[in-house]
Amino acid sequence: MRVVAAVSFLPPDSFNVVVLIAVFTLIALGLHFTFGLLNMVNLAHGEFLLIGAYTAFQIQETTGNVVLGILLAPVAAAIVALVVERGVLRSLYDRPLDSLLATFGLAVIIRQVVQLIYSANPRRVQDVIGGSFEVAGFNVPWWRLVVVIATIALVALVSAILAKTAFGLHARATVRNPALAETMGINVALVRTVMFALGSAIAGLAGALLAPINTLDPQFGLLFLVNSFLVVILGGQGSLRGLVVAAALLGGSLSILQFFISTVHAQIIVLLIAILGVRVRPVFAERIAASRQRRSSAHGSGPGSGGTALTAEALRDG
Amino acid sequence: MTPVLGISGLHAGYGSSIVLRDVSLEVPPGSVACLMGRNGAGKTTLLRALMGALPRTGTVQLDGRDISDWNGHRINRAGMVWVPQEDAVFPGLTVREHLFIALGRRARDAGLAEAAELFPILGERMDQEAQTLSGGERKMLGIAQALIVRPKLVLMDEPTEGVAPIIVEQLQPAIRVLTESAAVLLVEQNIDTALALGSQAYVLEHGTIVEAGDIRRLYDDGVLERRLGL
Repeated sequence: MRVVAAVSFLPPDSFNVVVLIAVFTLIALGLHFTFGLLNMVNLAHGEFLLIGAYTAFQIQETTGNVVLGILLAPVAAAIVALVVERGVLRSLYDRPLDSLLATFGLAVIIRQVVQLIYSANPRRVQDVIGGSFEVAGFNVPWWRLVVVIATIALVALVSAILAKTAFGLHARATVRNPALAETMGINVALVRTVMFALGSAIAGLAGALLAPINTLDPQFGLLFLVNSFLVVILGGQGSLRGLVVAAALLGGSLSILQFFISTVHAQIIVLLIAILGVRVRPVFAERIAASRQRRSSAHGSGPGSGGTALTAEALRDG
Repeated sequence: MTPVLGISGLHAGYGSSIVLRDVSLEVPPGSVACLMGRNGAGKTTLLRALMGALPRTGTVQLDGRDISDWNGHRINRAGMVWVPQEDAVFPGLTVREHLFIALGRRARDAGLAEAAELFPILGERMDQEAQTLSGGERKMLGIAQALIVRPKLVLMDEPTEGVAPIIVEQLQPAIRVLTESAAVLLVEQNIDTALALGSQAYVLEHGTIVEAGDIRRLYDDGVLERRLGL
């Protein structure tokens, strides 16, 4: 029950709900790029968290500066991502079974290399701030608050990159229709490489941020893999808003359930919620799409969204 | 004079199926070459192959530069743009974002203003998702995307096919501007449109060029009638 162990470090108080929602968001944010947008079944996602966590550990051991380690963690993860994407993965987009096999193999290799270098013994990344404070009767550990704030900042940053920048526009176009994007002047291969590296960098940063509140060993990445996929799949592949909602639903449910029942039972119920959610999501998606269509038709620019099409059809028929 | 587009000995197809065999043609500067042929002759396949979207062998030159091995994005940025036959838009992206993609690093404001001037309806719908436009409006968007980048060569695939007459009337002036400002390789089934716009014609049959020459002469001699079953 590695997944259970992943969250068992969190204290059973109210702030835990916020923390666990943030953790579920944080671990899935990198996978939003590699699996959610690029459609690569990336079973090595956890190992990019692992690379980030061990980078933080290594820099801490070498320089004594864990903050520097956390800052360099995404860089290390991005460099590994660039090498494997250019070397192996770039021809596997939209090939789910092949990418699953390749990333599974990659994950095993990374874990084994880490074990060869650092052994299987548990390591410790320092809690940079340490301690906690009380607010309105709630106990708030400092580092967990940092994780929550960093998660909010990262979600805002990712959202801004995708919505406001030229790269984000090219990324969205590439995801929706790579063949058309290429003929319209977008370097699809380069955009995919950067997206994969960016997603892996975010995973690396997530690993470094979570390392101080968890025991670090070569299995560290596996702790987060299942929950990352649950969040991205339940949120709707490619939807950042859906990802945050799914993380809130799953992380929130898990932490609240933990107040009343054991972590094992809570995780089983969360898995059931995820399965049920995936089952009913298409119904909600249809309703939301229908409601959007109605709103679009009702607005002033309506003719373009339906009226003109109808007019053109009528003229053709006439 | 160096042709804007020079194709020599081009073979292309889908996977192991070869569709185009030994195609050679030229589009001189300022001219409109019409690519004609019955359904399934390989016209659209040729345009796709030229944009690097299909595996191909042979030589393709743009303005004298060999672009045979180039990827689609590089071909586009070198000045060869494609206006596809189907309503090719990105779901979820607005009209404005489509024009931004087409413009690349060129000045955005001037490009948007030009598109809005060309098709005022697009100016009104800049923030509307392109997939919610009507078929005719999407054709306008495709032509606007090509026009605002000042291309050297436009590959245009039946721009008025399947569009209501009232929309065709709005498209024609823009197509005329496009043909006057760039060399064009135009796939066109409608003989009247082809004669009005084109100077040369190439007739494809089963992936091979079977007739080439002045379009008016080919029409007057009855060659087009015979080849196309008019």
